[in-house]
Amino acid sequence: MNAAHTEARSLSRTWMQRLPASLRLAAAFALITAVILLPAGHWRVYAAIAGALVVIAAAARVSMLSVLKRLALLEPIIIGVAALSLLGPAGLRGFLSILAKSSLCLFVMILLSTTTRFTEILRVLRAIHTPWLLLTTLTLMYRYIFVLAEEGHRMRRARLSRTFNRGRWRTWKNLGTVIAQLFVRSSERAERIYAAMCARGWK
Amino acid sequence: MNAIEISDLHFRYPDGKIALDGISLSIPEGHTVALIGPNGAGKSTLLLHLNGLLPEKLGQDGRVKIFDRPITAKNVDEIRRDVGLLFQDPDDQIFCPTVFEDVAFGPQQLALGDQAIAQRVTEVLDRVGLSGFDDRLPHHLSGGEKRRVCLAGVLACDCRILVLDEPTSDLDPRGKRQLKDLLRQLPATKVIATHDLELVAELCPRAVLMDAGRLIADGPSLHILADEPLMLQHGLEKPHILQHLHPHV
Amino acid sequence: MHIPDGFLSARTAAAAAVLSAGALGVALNVARSLPRRRVPLMGLTAAFIFAAQMINFPIAAGTSGHLVGAVLAAVLVGPAAAVVVMSAVLIVQCVLLGDGGLTALGANIFNMAVAAPVFGYAVYGLISRLLPGTRGRIVAAAFAGWCATVIAALCCAVELAFSGIHWVVFPAMINVHLLIGIGEATLTALILSAIIRTRPELLDASAAEPARRRMIPLVVAGLLVAIALAVFISPLGSDWPDGLEKVAEHFGFAASSRTVLPPALGLDSKIRTTAWATALASAVGTVLAFGLSLLLARWLVPNRSAGRNGEHP
Repeated sequence: MNAAHTEARSLSRTWMQRLPASLRLAAAFALITAVILLPAGHWRVYAAIAGALVVIAAAARVSMLSVLKRLALLEPIIIGVAALSLLGPAGLRGFLSILAKSSLCLFVMILLSTTTRFTEILRVLRAIHTPWLLLTTLTLMYRYIFVLAEEGHRMRRARLSRTFNRGRWRTWKNLGTVIAQLFVRSSERAERIYAAMCARGWK
Repeated sequence: MNAIEISDLHFRYPDGKIALDGISLSIPEGHTVALIGPNGAGKSTLLLHLNGLLPEKLGQDGRVKIFDRPITAKNVDEIRRDVGLLFQDPDDQIFCPTVFEDVAFGPQQLALGDQAIAQRVTEVLDRVGLSGFDDRLPHHLSGGEKRRVCLAGVLACDCRILVLDEPTSDLDPRGKRQLKDLLRQLPATKVIATHDLELVAELCPRAVLMDAGRLIADGPSLHILADEPLMLQHGLEKPHILQHLHPHV
Repeated sequence: MHIPDGFLSARTAAAAAVLSAGALGVALNVARSLPRRRVPLMGLTAAFIFAAQMINFPIAAGTSGHLVGAVLAAVLVGPAAAVVVMSAVLIVQCVLLGDGGLTALGANIFNMAVAAPVFGYAVYGLISRLLPGTRGRIVAAAFAGWCATVIAALCCAVELAFSGIHWVVFPAMINVHLLIGIGEATLTALILSAIIRTRPELLDASAAEPARRRMIPLVVAGLLVAIALAVFISPLGSDWPDGLEKVAEHFGFAASSRTVLPPALGLDSKIRTTAWATALASAVGTVLAFGLSLLLARWLVPNRSAGRNGEHP
């Protein structure tokens, strides 16, 4: 769960973290919208924005290495879909433009998630009157993602330690059972959480 | 007036199995009582009755009285302000994304102002030795820290009765020591279900032994713990620490 | 597939966002009538889907696939709750991991959190009513999983096409997902059969609701099918460029969809052939997927429970 560790590191108090989360979120959204509205082929503008983002990243003490690592993870999808435009009238110019714009937007999102804790985003969502059920689902989900991911990992490991016959179908069946078990445990946990919430006066 | 008064409590699981078979128990205010017994004795089930989580449909007969008030569907919310329950798995209890929010959950239900809530949370985190942990993610805490967050969450509601289910399980020796020191200082009435017989010997002057849903023994914990045949008969054993704490026993 | 930022035109992204916000609103309204006891389950199911999506299933030569879980969620917590759950998953993936663009969130939610679970659940409801017992349920869920994957891909392709990505995105996306859907069908069947084996009562009880309420997902599904057919079949009926141009003009997308229209000179027939080929592949795919679902159910559910009474969905 790299995202979690990235978040923990963002506890450093640079000027970026001191800006209210709503501002950071709005700025990210505005910037992304601006980028996607840019026409194709404006290479200098793209480069300028990229430069600005690098400067912001440095000022916010975000490690470029970690940014590049996360970019590298998601670039293949962007390249793949963008490649379709190679076939169209826009050709190479269109392909490179989409690639540039999409990567810039991704850069912005990575900066946002590295400098903003999800709990702050939840607070912003609450402030803009996001429906209660969605907010509670997001909050509980965020709380238990790591718990469940670890549980799933442990169960998978336990299964693997007792699997000697490594056929693909067997692996699928095992993993499928692990996921099923994960759901069963999650529902039981949900019951206990309900009890804990009631025990503390939830109405 | 007793803090907790249980009269002839019976409980059956949905599958028909008998969980509690006529439990009667009185606990005066300020006392610390240990609930011991083998697995499956019904300890956790009994604890869930102390704040109205069981039975699922609260009737009028009120077999459990908290400060002389029988627990009914009407007053169960009030009761929960007085009785703080600490569950066995802290991950079930800490359901908010940050420590601050989780500890603040109880006070928020009490509709205190934002400032009062923040103050209370800070105070209570201080008391449990976790100042500055406000923004921490529960997932990154150690077992002992998580338990203390749960305790803080309950203390923030000013509960007069603390009910703890296996508070020292999964703790390393340092965590256990810290928790024991903390519990020792709390003036609330305490009911502790535990397998940790050291904890019982150190902290709880009175012990109640349960097995198969029934009360087997109720008295000074040193007497019960020292009664080797009794302990062995009910899936427990005489703890070695008794030799060190009370060599004459 | 999560659409990144920069691929959708502003108008398409905005339209999709409005549609998905509306759908999410409806789902939240319906889910609000759930008993309070089920509220934590929604958060936990969302966490579960997120965690489950991270588990890699080896396919071949280093590639691996993973579960999407839209139909699984719908079968476990009901269609309305599933819409909320899947939306939450997508929101967290977008903001926390950068998987799926911020401006594309509306479209991604529409494809994977609205169309997939609702349509999938409708298929599941229909088939599990026709085929009784646990086996019937597995067949229904597996096939629904396949259908949901294809419908999500279809919606995605429509959005990309309207945004000016070359028309080849249509057959490309759909054909690939006809195959990917098989993985989803298999996984859904595997997981669901394992849950039914140990804790059948965990499946969403709303399947036992009166017939009238169950008609709603079917009606919605019918609408989606109609739309899908319209988008699909119309290129076969009229000239693809004309058909799409008319639709595009009607929605005011004409300007941005210019580049979708391939230059004249003999490409019309290519489009026609491709459209026919895709339609054929989909028809064959549907039959194969259903056949596979039957096989899966037979493998995974032992004979004894095949027609057990009282297990009617």
